[in-house]
Amino acid sequence: METVINEYISQELVRDPGLLPLADDTSLLESGILDSLSLLQLVVFLEERFGITVGDQDLLPENFASVTTICAYLRTREPQKQAAHG
Amino acid sequence: MGDSHASRLFRTAEGAAYWAVVAPALARLPAIAGYRIACWRGDWLCRRHVAERTELARNLRQVFGAELSPESVQDVTQEWFRLSSCEAVDVKRLRRGARPLQRLVEIRGREHLEAALAAGKGAILCSAHFGSFDSAFSMLNACGFPVTTIGRWQHKYTASLSTAERRFWALVYAKPLQRLRHRPNIEPWPGRFDVATRAAAALRANEVVTVSIDAPPLDSDLARTVEVPFLGRRARLLPGIVTLAQLTGAPVLVGFLYRSADYCHQVLEISPPLPAGDEPASAFGRCAAEVSAAITRNPAHWRYWASTADLATLGLVLPEPDRSAAAASSVVAMN
Repeated sequence: METVINEYISQELVRDPGLLPLADDTSLLESGILDSLSLLQLVVFLEERFGITVGDQDLLPENFASVTTICAYLRTREPQKQAAHG
Repeated sequence: MGDSHASRLFRTAEGAAYWAVVAPALARLPAIAGYRIACWRGDWLCRRHVAERTELARNLRQVFGAELSPESVQDVTQEWFRLSSCEAVDVKRLRRGARPLQRLVEIRGREHLEAALAAGKGAILCSAHFGSFDSAFSMLNACGFPVTTIGRWQHKYTASLSTAERRFWALVYAKPLQRLRHRPNIEPWPGRFDVATRAAAALRANEVVTVSIDAPPLDSDLARTVEVPFLGRRARLLPGIVTLAQLTGAPVLVGFLYRSADYCHQVLEISPPLPAGDEPASAFGRCAAEVSAAITRNPAHWRYWASTADLATLGLVLPEPDRSAAAASSVVAMN
């Protein structure tokens, strides 16, 4: 999961090549990689790739601070996703 | 110093009295009388506020050059003050579900918005700080279109306003407008990173999201601006509307509220959707061109003429070195 997300962010959202290769714990907000529109782009990708819906209440900086926290957030969604499908 | 302080106090008191007492009364008069009196007040402001009038005329001359004769500059300046006064009456006519205002506004192109929503992906209504744009958005919501606006309430950001003044404008300006919006305004203040996702949520719920694309960018947003042809020059604007449209699949329509020569009646013109599939740069250039054309046809309708700081941030005029941006950037509704 980390690899998929890291690759997507590296290829689609990082505009400054100096930030590559992207470490999983790099702050996406402080480094300027994520702004309002790139967050939307990332959310659309996560929803399509992982079959989840990111609600308003989940749009917190701590959920999208780094690749690691994004993965942690997605893992908290796994049980809900399975329950929805089950 | 004493003079300017007294003058500012008088101006603040007059503006407060107008918005809190006079405009609500004018909004209850027959429209022709209410708006006529608002125009008289606009003429009085135009004569009295010499500095603002001079700044406005200078900015018009800088941007339009020889396209506007000296007489036209004078007319546009006077008209600008009239429209500012009329806007207060529009806001106060939003009472009772906006019916008093609806009676005076013809919506042309309503079918375009209905067709866009029928497709189920919401619609983005691209507009500008043009005429009574805020009233138009609220009235549209009252007409049955669920409208949410991306935009800052300017009284929250105008540095020269006191806390009491902010509360006052929130009460007399923002509250009646917000009451007729589907969701609270999505305010793109610095550092807020969920603006686009909240707008996308509204679009996914098949709602209308309105955006005024002519806002001067904040310092924190300057890196994301693009330069586009605008009013015969090149302006720095934020193109996020196009990305939002591409990521959500929502069509972009353009809408402006024009005031008629009798000052009572207005026409809200909504365009068909702009062509989808364009490159982002050309798609945004098209939006900017629509705004620019509307302003060129009706220059008095544009809010920013009286603020050299805002026009300079947009890249349309040279900045004034002797005035701070915070002090000068106070166009708002506070006239």
